Amino acid sequence: MEIKIRKNVLDRNKNKANEVRALLKEKNVLMVNMISSPGAGKTTLLEKTLENLKSKFKLAVIEGDITTDRDAQRLKGHGVPIVVINTEGGCHLDSHSISKVLPEFDLDNLDVVFVENVGNLVCPSHFDLGESFKLALVSTTEGDDKPIKYPMLFREAKAILLNKIDLIQYTNFNKSSFHTDLNNVNGKVPLFEVSCTQNLGMEKWYTWITNQIVSK
Amino acid sequence: MHELKIAEELIGIIKQVAEEENLKKVTKVNIQFGKMIMIVPDVFHFVFDGAVKGTIAKNARLHLEILPVKFVCKKCREETEIDDLLFVCPLCGSNDLELIQGRETVIESIEGEK
Repeated sequence: MEIKIRKNVLDRNKNKANEVRALLKEKNVLMVNMISSPGAGKTTLLEKTLENLKSKFKLAVIEGDITTDRDAQRLKGHGVPIVVINTEGGCHLDSHSISKVLPEFDLDNLDVVFVENVGNLVCPSHFDLGESFKLALVSTTEGDDKPIKYPMLFREAKAILLNKIDLIQYTNFNKSSFHTDLNNVNGKVPLFEVSCTQNLGMEKWYTWITNQIVSK
Repeated sequence: MHELKIAEELIGIIKQVAEEENLKKVTKVNIQFGKMIMIVPDVFHFVFDGAVKGTIAKNARLHLEILPVKFVCKKCREETEIDDLLFVCPLCGSNDLELIQGRETVIESIEGEK
């Protein structure tokens, strides 16, 4: 006999994500889910962004890391609360782990939680954390074909950062091919071309993220 | 390897339904994944077979269907199915689209014996 079910396999994650989203809405906290490959520059982007925003807003960070707390150690000096989630081999964060650590922050006294997801372009894009939006970060040294290879992330992200723009001359990254592919996957998404380490193009990004926080 | 997490969730649902329906064994599982989920069928079969060991669904056949991506153009309302993940309306060229299929992770049904 056949039993019809017709149910989303990821319902448990989705339901918990909706709870997280409702809580953050009630507390008026913006949550940004940052997704990229390992080594694209998420932690450096966070370091620079925390420095720029911390005098204007109350910030916090959730660090998703497979085994270590090295990223959290790097961020410690910036004076914002940080919680580490070790996924113990898991390739993405999920809404249950976020829900568990949120009480560690004083949500009544917070504007933004930046979530640094595990470095991976596939899995994190399928698991809703209850975030306000996803942010995709890609770097010139990874190659120009990421948007067309990982359309789920690049379609769902509210903004894209192309990092390590200062290194482009040493790579075979084809900017026009990247723009064409990104346009085909998501022609409406804002793109920021930056070098986090060299502080190139960062002002436009700071303005954009500031606007997101102000209009949350 | 989001396949593993998806398989674990899937088995949780199968166990629950099999218990509610008083099934003695589950013989077949029918699931659908949208193309955007980027499930590799061979990998999913492998992971599923490992995860059902020792459960009511051991030896169950997995029928996995990949659903193509479909969108509706918000400008001209044309509905399009695409193979190439090119998110541009073929009729009017707009990229203002609403995705209507391609992100599913659905368990359609299970088959079993009482």
